Amino acid sequence: MILDAIHILLPILIIASSLFAVLLKDLIAAAIAVAAMSLLLSLEFFILQAPDVAIAEAGVGACLTTAILVIAIKSTKRMEDEK
Amino acid sequence: MSKRNLFALIFFVIMAVFLFISSLMMHPFGNPEKTNMDDEIIENAQIETGTNNGVTSVVFDYRGFDTLGEATILFTAVAGVIMIFRRMNK
Amino acid sequence: MNGMSRIVKTIASITFPLVMIYGLYIIAHGHLTPGGGFQGGAVVASGCAMILIAYGSVWTLGKIKEKNLSILESVGAICFITLAILGLGFGTVFFKNFLIGSEIIFGIIPSFGSTISNINTAGVIPLMNFAVGLKVIAGLFGIVLIMAYASTRRDKY
Repeated sequence: MILDAIHILLPILIIASSLFAVLLKDLIAAAIAVAAMSLLLSLEFFILQAPDVAIAEAGVGACLTTAILVIAIKSTKRMEDEK
Repeated sequence: MSKRNLFALIFFVIMAVFLFISSLMMHPFGNPEKTNMDDEIIENAQIETGTNNGVTSVVFDYRGFDTLGEATILFTAVAGVIMIFRRMNK
Repeated sequence: MNGMSRIVKTIASITFPLVMIYGLYIIAHGHLTPGGGFQGGAVVASGCAMILIAYGSVWTLGKIKEKNLSILESVGAICFITLAILGLGFGTVFFKNFLIGSEIIFGIIPSFGSTISNINTAGVIPLMNFAVGLKVIAGLFGIVLIMAYASTRRDKY
């Protein structure tokens, strides 16, 4: 019962955080949204019984990608340009 | 609506219909159709490679060339990044 | 990138050994529990990146040079390929598990079914786990370190 609810709730949260990552104008906030999407995706992998992929996703996707994105944003401009 | 937006809309509708149909045709969770390779590895992996973890026995023993390719990709990526930024740091 | 405040430095120093222990446990028990060289290496590199963010790239580059990280990564790759070629020498084919069944190290074969985990099993697989783990730690942390250092020096360009 609870597992079924998690199976329905987690993809909705993943899609919502990916939409935030696309739509936000602040690039640091978009990078944090990508990190949240990656963390929720690793939780989804874990409840689909793939703990190997979950550990790799949590390490690479949620930490190292965010670090590289934040470093790249710090050396350029933070806000997206308005057309 | 410009021609480019119309093309994007048509492509989006085709992709959405394709994904929806393919999600309806999926197997139920935990019931794959063909299990020849799975049964072979589950029966023999513990005796042949001596691991209690079947995934590692596939990654490092049965499909070792895959891991070799992954290591090569990582090596190439690190070499490229360090080559670019070492010149910037001087 | 300069270092952050004293609070962040203290919390990072407290959390760093726990992350190290978890990642090295995943690498060393790769043939018994879920995980392996790549996953554990990613976890250890994440802990090192946390120290890098907290203390700044100039301080971290004073502790370890990126040239040494590059050498470590090459050593991991060479160990991996050497183990594969030793399979060709002692056994029959490339990637042959030649240590299994021998009495040297990692040689015990567990019986079929769910057994008690013994770390002295699985032949050449734990050594390959160590090699790939060393390679992934040095590679990923080297990328993050040299990118962070390059972003502090950008005012020259």
